[in-house]
Amino acid sequence: MDAVSRKTITVDVNGEQFEREVDARRLLIHFIRDDLDLTGSHIGCDTGNCGACSVLLDGTLVKSCMMLAVQADGAKIETVEGLARDGELNGLQQAFSDHHALQCGYCTPGMLMSATALLRQNKSPTEDEIRKGIQGNICRCTGYVNIVEAIRAAAQ
Amino acid sequence: MLLREVEYARPASVQEALRLLGANDGARALAGGQTLINVMKARAASPDVLVDLADIGELRGIELGSDGTLELGAMTTYTDVIDSAEARARPILGEVCNQIADVQVRNRGTLGGNVCSNDPTNHLPPLLVAIGATMTIIAPGGERSVSAAEFFLGVYMTAVGPGELLTKISVPPGKGDGFASVPIGKDGTCIVNVAASLDGGALRLAIGCVDSVPVLLEPGSTDDDAVRTAVHGANLDPPWDVHASADYRRHLADVLALRAVAQAAGRK
Amino acid sequence: MTETTVTPERPLVVEEGDVKPGFIGQSVPRKEDKRLVQGEGVFFDDVKRHEMGYVHFVRSPYAHARIRSVDVAKALELDGVYGTLTGDEVAILTDPFFELSTPPGANIKDYALAVGRVRHVGDPVAAVVARTRELARDAAELVEVDYEPLPHVLDAEESVKDEVVLHDDAGSNTVWSGVFDWGDFDAALADADHVVRIERLHFDRFSSTPLECSGCLVEFNRGTGQWTIHGNHQMPGVGAIWMAPALRVGIDKLRFVSQDIGGGFGNKITLHPQYTACCLLARKLNRPVQWTEWRTDQHTANTHGNERTFLDITVPVKADGTMLGFSVRAIDDCGAFPRYEPLGCIIWAQVTPGCYRWRNIRVDFTQVCTNKSPVAPNRGYSRMQHLWLTERIVDIVAGELGLDPIEVRKKNYVKHEEFPYETPNGCVYDSGDYARCLDIALDLIGYDSLEEKRSDAESRGKRFGIGIGSTLDSGTNNFGQSMIINPELQFSGNNEVATVKLDIFGEVVVTLGTVPQGQGHETTSAQVVAEILGCTPDDVNVRAGHDTYWNSTAGFSGTYASQFAVTGLGAVKGAADKLAGEMKQLAAAVFGCSPDDIELVESQARIQGNPEAALPFMALGAILNANNAGLPADLDVTLNVRYVYRPQFEKPDLERKFGNLTLTYATQIHACAVEIDPETGVYEIVDYAAVDDCGNRIHPQIVEGQVHGATAQALGAATHEIFTYDEEGNLLTPNFYDYHVPHALDMPPMKNGFIESASPFTPLGAKGMGEGGGAGIHAVCAALQNALGRRGEGPIVWRSCNPYEGVWDLLQKPEDTRKLVSVESR
Repeated sequence: MDAVSRKTITVDVNGEQFEREVDARRLLIHFIRDDLDLTGSHIGCDTGNCGACSVLLDGTLVKSCMMLAVQADGAKIETVEGLARDGELNGLQQAFSDHHALQCGYCTPGMLMSATALLRQNKSPTEDEIRKGIQGNICRCTGYVNIVEAIRAAAQ
Repeated sequence: MLLREVEYARPASVQEALRLLGANDGARALAGGQTLINVMKARAASPDVLVDLADIGELRGIELGSDGTLELGAMTTYTDVIDSAEARARPILGEVCNQIADVQVRNRGTLGGNVCSNDPTNHLPPLLVAIGATMTIIAPGGERSVSAAEFFLGVYMTAVGPGELLTKISVPPGKGDGFASVPIGKDGTCIVNVAASLDGGALRLAIGCVDSVPVLLEPGSTDDDAVRTAVHGANLDPPWDVHASADYRRHLADVLALRAVAQAAGRK
Repeated sequence: MTETTVTPERPLVVEEGDVKPGFIGQSVPRKEDKRLVQGEGVFFDDVKRHEMGYVHFVRSPYAHARIRSVDVAKALELDGVYGTLTGDEVAILTDPFFELSTPPGANIKDYALAVGRVRHVGDPVAAVVARTRELARDAAELVEVDYEPLPHVLDAEESVKDEVVLHDDAGSNTVWSGVFDWGDFDAALADADHVVRIERLHFDRFSSTPLECSGCLVEFNRGTGQWTIHGNHQMPGVGAIWMAPALRVGIDKLRFVSQDIGGGFGNKITLHPQYTACCLLARKLNRPVQWTEWRTDQHTANTHGNERTFLDITVPVKADGTMLGFSVRAIDDCGAFPRYEPLGCIIWAQVTPGCYRWRNIRVDFTQVCTNKSPVAPNRGYSRMQHLWLTERIVDIVAGELGLDPIEVRKKNYVKHEEFPYETPNGCVYDSGDYARCLDIALDLIGYDSLEEKRSDAESRGKRFGIGIGSTLDSGTNNFGQSMIINPELQFSGNNEVATVKLDIFGEVVVTLGTVPQGQGHETTSAQVVAEILGCTPDDVNVRAGHDTYWNSTAGFSGTYASQFAVTGLGAVKGAADKLAGEMKQLAAAVFGCSPDDIELVESQARIQGNPEAALPFMALGAILNANNAGLPADLDVTLNVRYVYRPQFEKPDLERKFGNLTLTYATQIHACAVEIDPETGVYEIVDYAAVDDCGNRIHPQIVEGQVHGATAQALGAATHEIFTYDEEGNLLTPNFYDYHVPHALDMPPMKNGFIESASPFTPLGAKGMGEGGGAGIHAVCAALQNALGRRGEGPIVWRSCNPYEGVWDLLQKPEDTRKLVSVESR
């Protein structure tokens, strides 16, 4: 095999198949936002610290700004756009709204994906486990107080 | 935030990976990408070719040998270690992995990536030096083993040469370990970290963040005085940065050394 | 007034007391949420245009240098590059942005790109536009700039000496300087039983670092000369005032559009330089251009909060603990370009005595430029720094004189019965009850068991301290205060606009002049309109975001300075009241009765006491818009109301620097407990209480959310968030890796309480409260002080940011800071 600077990749995003040609250097988050027009996942930093770009890749929570699109070839990706069904918010999304766990909404998609990953793996997390589960997601608006409450409520 | 042009390959075997790495001076192995991709985003380093190790099954897996030795594939993620029943043969490993950054990073970041990047603030280099781990390196000519103490050569420099690959890390069984650190914020970057182990017989103390490689000390006994004497005798000359002056790092090394030793002694 | 206390297990406020009727005062579901939790918000970077180009700025690597030449030839050769812009072009195509200050600051020349000289690391020098983000970045590396480094100055006290001058046109680094003198400080000094002197205190540089970086997508319409800017500028009215004259066009040629903004906190107020560069590029290249700021750019070259050094603080105190006032020399470091900043020289005066009844205050204030990132109105703007000063003063004085920090606060606080209270410089504090808030905070944090907690901590080898942080959040500015800085400025008063209309099918539609960044404006506006029009918030459609084309903006429109609940909702209320009046007039004309007989209830206009005679909103809308034959000739209704809310302000007395500078004063009183590991200086906030009073709460959950968020930001600023520079002027914390903001595990357990002291001056009795006033910083400093020092001994906490090594230094060398304080007792 040879190393290539451009590649056609196939990804499943929220159940839909996409085939695109991408530069090897293209970050996964830019691929999702710019090439697939799924702008729900966001970019908040340069160094992989803020988590606004968090998505599920083959069921694993990852920061898509620290992966190349080519690394996701053949993968199943879940983003915030896949959480609601036919415009109906899921329990977690509803809990976020009920508990005012979002203000500007910029960290929210990443936060929801982290919470989704947490609750899939731990149905009744303690407060500490919740905080640990969203430790990779920075929020500058809420102080995390209501986010933790919302996740706790969604778990019940 | 935006990488330079690069070429990419995802080989299915170690041999193919070695071939790709050897074919281009500017080729680098891509493990979890939690360090390398960031470095490339900042354009602080821009390899010409990325050899993605993700599909190489033989680099993954945690095995517990009959003699209790733990063998961890280089592509083992921090989450793999935390979740692994086998890895509890050496509990300090999972405990320290669980202090690294956050879930997302732990899901992708690998042991191999952590040791091969050898950022002075990393958690695993001092830990593996203290517990006497052994690294297995494969080259086109064959395999060799290097002790952790001899593995780390400089900032971002290890015994893994160009065209070579770290394949696994071997860890003897044991429980008499301690790890003490002062991170910036919970689970944040370490300002200073110290690992201690009593399992090899004599006390081994490895101090991180104070030099380009972990500083290994063998104080002779676990007494506070012996530990202090050893740390002072090391004549540490830590770097200065926005989080700590050289003096403060030196001081933290003193304090954390004692705490790591106390932890290890308490668990032996 | 209602009050609440909190049971310690739950960190949320538990509401007790009466449920208010109507929608105002209820925590209704937020309208913004449905789209935001689905990732369907529209932030500027989500907007795309066919064939758009991506902008990358080439930025200075030097803190101070002459630009000898800029060569874009190689960049232009790269395939996929659409064009470039340099400082030379900018100097020809635009005029410098107007300056707020008097000379010498007035003579500074500030352009969209550096012209002739760079003045801070990250200063934009050229711009490249390309087909993809990556190509623009590649091309930027090919731009060759020849710099001649110059000496630089990074310290405000050094800068005052003018040995290295940033702006030759000004000839001095001093942007503005003046002395404020109220009461009779010399008499107070003579009258004192003790004089406490504090040599220096320093408020450190940090910012709220909103998660969404700045940016814009600019389109230029060649046929009409119209620019459309999809961006996240949080005060577009002011942005346009800067940009239009610079671009030499009428203000209407700049249309600002935003829908969702990922946090602003004051850091998106001075985006006009980059926006102007993008406007020029869009016009030059005849294609839409998009600029997305990177995190590194935001930290190095966007804006920081005020950094302020307080010197020679002198505090006269009576034997019984009454403080008579204080005198201080303040040096404010505004970075490389002042821009909005001269206002920082006066805005602190909204809270001159802090929470206290001090009558004799003298402030010698100087603002200087340095070769660091420019400063802008970061959350708490200029008041936070000053309030921190007043709290440090109270804390240090109490400590040095052996006074109880609680008692000394209560003794010196403005008393509940004294409101409305006029401060020595004529500001009117509208309402409040500081002592009561303090009591609630103390109760929440278990102050009575302080000594027990201290013993317990000490038994574990830790040092323990509790601290109080009292603060005010002054809101709804009188922009006349700008005239105190510069009498030539033509700004005074304040305003905000809203429109409310009834459409042809009876739909209620609201547009706002504000630019929300998460504060729930759509929701709270709907609550107010629903209550006035007699429908439900779900029936009220509030257009999301901001658009100049909606004609619902005035000069001061925007979201800043803790004022939405007053100005924004004041405008909404005014428009809704007027619309309600018109609806009643129209119904009365149809029914042939008096408008006084009509009530608006259940989305209908009906005759009181006669539910059969009812016109649903749809009928009203249809009649006026489509079926209006036969209506009386003198019926003057449009059902489309634009209202400008204008608070009652006078122009200040420029001579005495006296006058009411803000309409409302929300209170926050925080209490904090820390445990310090004396072996390392590492400390933890182990308990925290925050009590707020913002008058009538329109939406309690939103208010609490703001308190949580402001507290988190303050705790970050108190512990790790600091913009530090190396000797070459490089920012050492240019990203979230090094600039550590609180993550979920870093937050202490928080207890919240509140009271409501309605404001007598506002349409809804509410007060703006979004900024918070930095109480967390004041409280943490006080707690550290309490843990580390005792009367007359131990170190002095003299900086706002106290990272671990800072605390370690205080522990190791207490004499270094102890000498900052002296007490003269008579």
